[in-house]
Amino acid sequence: MKLAWTAAALLVALLLQSTLGVLAPDHGWIVDPFLLVVVYCGLVGGETHGMLAGVAAGWVQDIHFGGPVAGLSALTKLLVGFGVGVAGNRFLIAGTAPRILTLFAAAAADAILFERLALVFEIPAGSLSALGFLGRAVANALVGAVLFEIVEMRFRRREVRL
Amino acid sequence: MARVIDARKSRLLLAALVVSHLIVISQQVDGGGGASLLERVIFDLLSPLQRGVATGLRGAQAAWTGYVDLRHVRQENARLEERLATMETDLDGERQRAGEAARLREMLDLKKALPLETVAAEVVARDGTPWFRTLTLDRGTAAGIALNAAVMSPTGVVGRVIALGPRAARVQLLLDRDSGVAVQIERSRATGVVSGQVGAESAAKTDLIMKYVSALADVAVGDQVLTSGLDRIYPKGLVVGRVRAIGPSAGLFKEVVVSPSARFDQVETVLVVRGGPEPVALSESVR
Repeated sequence: MKLAWTAAALLVALLLQSTLGVLAPDHGWIVDPFLLVVVYCGLVGGETHGMLAGVAAGWVQDIHFGGPVAGLSALTKLLVGFGVGVAGNRFLIAGTAPRILTLFAAAAADAILFERLALVFEIPAGSLSALGFLGRAVANALVGAVLFEIVEMRFRRREVRL
Repeated sequence: MARVIDARKSRLLLAALVVSHLIVISQQVDGGGGASLLERVIFDLLSPLQRGVATGLRGAQAAWTGYVDLRHVRQENARLEERLATMETDLDGERQRAGEAARLREMLDLKKALPLETVAAEVVARDGTPWFRTLTLDRGTAAGIALNAAVMSPTGVVGRVIALGPRAARVQLLLDRDSGVAVQIERSRATGVVSGQVGAESAAKTDLIMKYVSALADVAVGDQVLTSGLDRIYPKGLVVGRVRAIGPSAGLFKEVVVSPSARFDQVETVLVVRGGPEPVALSESVR
């Protein structure tokens, strides 16, 4: 079941990212739907689920939107998913504010890790400005918090029905 | 407990995934020099090991080569020593042959200079006893040598034949006390008889004594002493030696010390007058 909805979520993320790329070619990168899926998987399913979702999301992202080297986003998302999973197990991240903070931290970590790994492997990749870095983290945190709330509301309704 | 195991599993999985991703990424990245980053990292990690192995192998190889070379050097050294010994032996032989050739040349010169027929003979033995001074030659009657035949070396008179065999002859040296040679001083023609001094009590004396020299005779140190031929054994004019000292006069005669010209201790080849001395033709009245 986990696998199915994770795959569905990644598919939705792919469609969303593609749509954003078409609608806002210059700013489509601000929101990372794959990162949101990974963070959600890490928070809900734990570190293993989070990192496996991260690997899958990263590879999809690498293949469809990545640069010359495949695997860089996968490695980044793998680490982010694992980190979020570990944090979800250690801390109670249930409210909106903690989730926003987690999403913000995850987005920041994703950007930092990606740029550092690109630097280590000497892969020619652009780097975010401080404003871009901050904007991306904030945007992902807010959008993610909203989306998580919507998803959980739907799940709660479903549970009530049952 | 199950949670701890899950945590361990997830960390192992994380490590495996991270490593596999690093490998995948580095395989795609050119690490410079045409090699991927993974290859470069592995190369950098393993090259010290390879270098160590290569250094060790080279060291071992050098040690082995050194050992083998040392063994070769030893063998070569032994071979060279053997060769050197052979060459030294050959050189000694050559020197000996050269010396012999020189001696023979001197003998040949002497033979040409002498108006007599002579036979060359080798010295095969010396001084059997301390009381006499003799040589043994490898030629005898078969070569035409007769008793009392004069024996000469290129440097001077050696002695006379005192015993004979078909292929050997014993020579009494001038050094022997019982020898005697009629001589004369080349410069003044003063005559006398030279004999040796060597006997049981004077084995080390190597000078000759010229006896029966007139007290009034003109003899000086350094004068050359030659055979006079009056004894009818030694041909006239052969070198016997030089005057080394003149003794005090005792009555009618004085004694003169003569250094022999012949090197008795070194002589190896001699010339022997063939046929020996001519018998004195005595008149009927003397008989």
